Amino acid sequence: MIAFDANMLLYIIEIVIGGLLVGVGVHFVPVGGAPAAMAQATGVGTGTVQLAAGSGLTGLLSAGLMMSVTDNMLMIVISGAVGAMIMIDATMIVGNWVYIYGVGVPPCSAKVDYDPITKEPQPPYISPGTVGHGIPTVSFVSGTIGGLLGGAGGSLIYYALMSINGNPGLSGFFAIGIFVVNAVVASYNIQGTIEGFHDPKFKRVPRAVQVCLVASLVIGIFAVLITGGA
Amino acid sequence: MSVAAGGGESKIDKTKLMMYGLGGGVLGIYLTHVLNTITGSGYFSFLAGLGVIAAVVMGSDAVRRVCSYGIGTGVPSIGLMAMGMGLVAAMFGLSIGGVAGPIIGIAVAMGFGYFVGLLANKIIKMNIPVMEEVLMTLGGAGAIVLIGLSVAVSGEISYPLILESVVNTGYIAILFIAGTLAILHPFNANLGPDETQDRTLVHTISTGALAMFAAGLASLATIGAAGLLTVVIAVIIWIKSFMWYFALVKRDSSGVVGTGLLPEGGL
Repeated sequence: MIAFDANMLLYIIEIVIGGLLVGVGVHFVPVGGAPAAMAQATGVGTGTVQLAAGSGLTGLLSAGLMMSVTDNMLMIVISGAVGAMIMIDATMIVGNWVYIYGVGVPPCSAKVDYDPITKEPQPPYISPGTVGHGIPTVSFVSGTIGGLLGGAGGSLIYYALMSINGNPGLSGFFAIGIFVVNAVVASYNIQGTIEGFHDPKFKRVPRAVQVCLVASLVIGIFAVLITGGA
Repeated sequence: MSVAAGGGESKIDKTKLMMYGLGGGVLGIYLTHVLNTITGSGYFSFLAGLGVIAAVVMGSDAVRRVCSYGIGTGVPSIGLMAMGMGLVAAMFGLSIGGVAGPIIGIAVAMGFGYFVGLLANKIIKMNIPVMEEVLMTLGGAGAIVLIGLSVAVSGEISYPLILESVVNTGYIAILFIAGTLAILHPFNANLGPDETQDRTLVHTISTGALAMFAAGLASLATIGAAGLLTVVIAVIIWIKSFMWYFALVKRDSSGVVGTGLLPEGGL
């Protein structure tokens, strides 16, 4: 019933790379958690998993759409990445509108004195008693990179699974399963909040890489053995 | 930022809950399969739903044990991870194991959980002493919930049938999220310094009943009118458990009073 061949090895490698991209991508997304929801910390005011799931699922949708017209892996992965980037950017920009026009706070980071991209000073804009608010330029750029990596990773997993079992529903849900495991493990690594690549917590990426590598490998081995049925 | 979740004393021992959860879950799934096959009907599908309720209670207790440490990412993350592991393992088990599939799936899910917990403690250095054991329990609960709800929809343990009636129809999306919420929501809603185990677990019975209700609705389209039994039993369990939960809320709160609306110009 279980046949192991060279192709399966390739699919496992694709799943592992996908898992790694998801795990690293989570570190780029500015997640502020509950404090950010009250505009008392920089980032989008929700949890890592919700953001990763939101952008990842959009990435899967766009990857699936592309997969219905072509089986070119590069096109599918790019399509997934763009879908996830659009979703995370929409989330961040609407979040920023709420912070700026609704709450009335300027987006700024508390982790750096000068925004690495715009070179604008940050401390004068931080309200006393808070650790920044909104999504400043550097976090926005970082989040877009996170969407790129997460979406590419998710669609790579989807592509590998589709090549094995050919069942879109099964592959999609499997990709989500592998996606959330990697996203949650990565978010434990940053303890739930991060501002983006300029955040000191970003230096913890190697640990997440190790964990996601091993976890995706184990899950990948089981995933490639599942058939499309019938 | 870690959320100090708190959590009261456990009145019911975790081993006992695990025994009931695993035993009840597996028993429910197999009883459904055997009785439905013998009678050639779908009337016993509700038993798988009852098994799911036993498993979500086990999972929810595990969530409350680990979240008392403050995992920093919020309660939903761990529930989603449980279902992520459970999904991969459940489908793997069903795909290779035939009728033995649920057992294989649950065992693989618990293995995944233990392994991910080990990685979280050793490499990410979360240093939560119960992490391995809790993720093992949660993986098992996730697998039982997915297999149980799928079997409640399909009527029997058969991978091709589950693919056709649960995965290809898209019901798996509903089952996935309803099952996840059933595990993670109770502690997320009850957490705080005044959290009590019995209140959280009774709340879990009601959320488990809602997941069963969702599976029952889906099964109306797959096994027909027999699915109505699942729906009706789920509604009865939900009403009973929610009333019980409300009684416990009143017990634990210092007072429940109706204040009425604010008077005109009261702001």
